Amino acid sequence: MAPLDSTIASNLFTIGAERLALLGKHHKALMQGYLDGFIDETAFSEAALKKLIAARILWRPDEQQALALRPLVSELIASMVADENRRQINADVAEKLEQIRNRVQAYRDAQYKGDYSVAELQLQRLTEQVHDLSGQFEEAIDSLWHRLNSDFGFVASLDDKIRENERAQKQLRRLLDGLDLLDFNELIELAEGNSHLRKLLVSQLQSQLSSHHSSLLEVQKRLVELLAKFRQQQARSLLITNMAAFLRQHPKYQPADYPNRSELPPLFNQAATIVPKAAIALDNASERQILAELVRNLPRQQGVILTETPSASFSQQWQDDVIAARQQALKTDVENFYLRVIDHGGKLSALDYLLQQQLEWDSEIWLYQIIAEYQALPVDEKQMFAIKRDEAPASSTNQLLLIRDISLSLNAQAA
Amino acid sequence: MLQHGPLLERLLAGEFICRITDEDAFRHLSAEQTQHEINHYLRPLNRRLVANDDNSVFFLGYHELSKDAREQLSSQFALTVQSLLPLLEWLQLVQETLGRDSALTAGDTIKLQEFVLRTEDNQSLRQRLNQLASDRFFNSQSEQLDNQVKQIFRRLKEHGYLLQPHNDRQYYIVTGKIDYLIDVIRFIRDEEHLPVDDTPTQEALI
Repeated sequence: MAPLDSTIASNLFTIGAERLALLGKHHKALMQGYLDGFIDETAFSEAALKKLIAARILWRPDEQQALALRPLVSELIASMVADENRRQINADVAEKLEQIRNRVQAYRDAQYKGDYSVAELQLQRLTEQVHDLSGQFEEAIDSLWHRLNSDFGFVASLDDKIRENERAQKQLRRLLDGLDLLDFNELIELAEGNSHLRKLLVSQLQSQLSSHHSSLLEVQKRLVELLAKFRQQQARSLLITNMAAFLRQHPKYQPADYPNRSELPPLFNQAATIVPKAAIALDNASERQILAELVRNLPRQQGVILTETPSASFSQQWQDDVIAARQQALKTDVENFYLRVIDHGGKLSALDYLLQQQLEWDSEIWLYQIIAEYQALPVDEKQMFAIKRDEAPASSTNQLLLIRDISLSLNAQAA
Repeated sequence: MLQHGPLLERLLAGEFICRITDEDAFRHLSAEQTQHEINHYLRPLNRRLVANDDNSVFFLGYHELSKDAREQLSSQFALTVQSLLPLLEWLQLVQETLGRDSALTAGDTIKLQEFVLRTEDNQSLRQRLNQLASDRFFNSQSEQLDNQVKQIFRRLKEHGYLLQPHNDRQYYIVTGKIDYLIDVIRFIRDEEHLPVDDTPTQEALI
């Protein structure tokens, strides 16, 4: 492929390879130099320093200054490690365009002369230049995205971030201006009649650049948004600091009575809270089942809690209200029975009465209560009643007497 | 309306709804149709939806400003004014303690432990926190840093400025109510022409 003077080519190759090897050989010390901004000369031998300077890797910007990396080498490292503090963006398109025009001319000339090997070489160089041009944008866009996605995290303060964002926006404008310099009509003209050139300059470059263009616009939009966010944050921080300072200085400060203005500012229209409460609806028959379930699931009340009470009330028994109420009802019914006996005067069977009044008491309990009531009467009143037990032995072998019924009558009449 | 039941309940209970506290609810509230429906529903309760300046947080206000409503608003306003300085100082303290380059905004997370650790070793931060914790708004009775910080964060959670996603984990997310607070401050500043600047000086811009 290289019909150039072969000795020059091989010379270039040897020197280039040698100097690239120098970079590798001293990689640690050089990288330290990149970070420090100057080279520690004691890390190198005299001969090595000379070689590095001759290779245009190191230079001394000024007699008084320490050795440093050449700007191009720094830039190479910055681009390789995406160090946004040092990365350079090259927005110069005009120069590249000029080179492309010249190459096309040289290529056409060579073809015209029939010097195909030279033409081939020119086409190769032209291809490289077109790729360079596209790559230049790609590198710039990569750097811009990188800065955006890290929220400009490579600088510490918000002020610095704002400055960096503004710098990025300027670079972006230069890149867009550069893209505008590319006139596709001119490129189409340049490529006229040659399929190689048309492919390279028109179809390929055009699609690449138009995608760069849309990327740049997207980056621009995001940069503007981010800058607005930064500014908002800055304003907020300042507002907080300054308002706090003001309130500290004026502890008695009282703002106007906004809530009672005729035109209430919406911000201060903060209503009192309403906490909705709900209870079980007992009127809804269809929900009985669910309610019953709920009630069943209620935690049971713990049994009798025996509180420590003084010994005086020690014998007091715990009473269930329901049982007490039933007992009272029984007592009342029995009293009614006695009153009936007094009213009617005649003999009255307890069980008949129970049946007649359709009372729900168990007959045994009923009889017990009547006897109990009789026993509880004062002696003189007891004599007013004649109580007669209707008894029978439990069985023929058991002499235990069972009370079958009781009949009560007024003694006065019996007498 | 049925689908918004729980949301209505939260609003009625005085909650501020933002993208952080409940993203779905916030999206619903941002729709004009839903706002309309909710306002219609709330009408008999004399309530309506209110949003801050940039619609980043919603809460309930009165529909009609009756005498009772005005009274309630007055006492609410007094509370808000009282809470301004402690809240601002807290914002400053967090920003400085955590070494942030900007003020807290909705969605920022704060790890309580980190806050405690950084305050512990710094005498001046420690003192400021001590003072802040004993402010009426935070009302901490404790002398211990850990308890003071917990009390401060608990109060901020109660007031809706912070959200604690897991009850057993001590990290908090700043809610949109902070935006509301900033809006209130900006409003008072503008109305009263207070000498409180929020644009950087020319030097800072260059």
